[in-house]
Amino acid sequence: MKKRTIMMAGFAALGLTGCIQVKAPDKPIEINLNVKIQQEVVVKLQRDAQDLIQNNPELFPQ
Amino acid sequence: MTRTFMMIATTAAVALATGLAMTSPARAQSGAVVAAMTAGTVGEQADGYLGLAGSVSDAVRQEVESINIKRRAAYTDLAGKRGVTVQDVAASIGCQTLSSRVKQGQVYRIGAGAWQTKGAGAIALPPYCATAG
Repeated sequence: MKKRTIMMAGFAALGLTGCIQVKAPDKPIEINLNVKIQQEVVVKLQRDAQDLIQNNPELFPQ
Repeated sequence: MTRTFMMIATTAAVALATGLAMTSPARAQSGAVVAAMTAGTVGEQADGYLGLAGSVSDAVRQEVESINIKRRAAYTDLAGKRGVTVQDVAASIGCQTLSSRVKQGQVYRIGAGAWQTKGAGAIALPPYCATAG
């Protein structure tokens, strides 16, 4: 019962303000996305990387 | 007829000799790099290139630079074929060298971190090296 009252009050407040304003952050939030993309590229290149190493032994002394 | 054959044979022999002459000094030098890697003064980096972890002779330094220039050319070539950046190719190579080529006792470096010696276990790779699946 009490919960419902609080919710009602919340809706009423929403109705008063009219709309919710979302302010865009100043700095882009995409650090994790970049890591994800790079990881996908690196994984995709894995086979090519193995071939490059095997085909150029003089460039990869061990 | 015979003359043509002779000419072809001679050309082939010259090409072979030139090839041998070009490869043998490079091999001798990379032997010095291998020795430096065993000594822990040269090591693989996660960025896909060889780095100097200690003081080395001028010959070794030059050979490391030469190898890195050739590596960069090979990475650039592959990057062009796959439509990715040279840095992405180099990073992929770094993942490979650190995960499967650096031997126990050899040194390696991740990013700008300190040089580390590979122990008995696998090297803790950068997160982007994670394999598919």
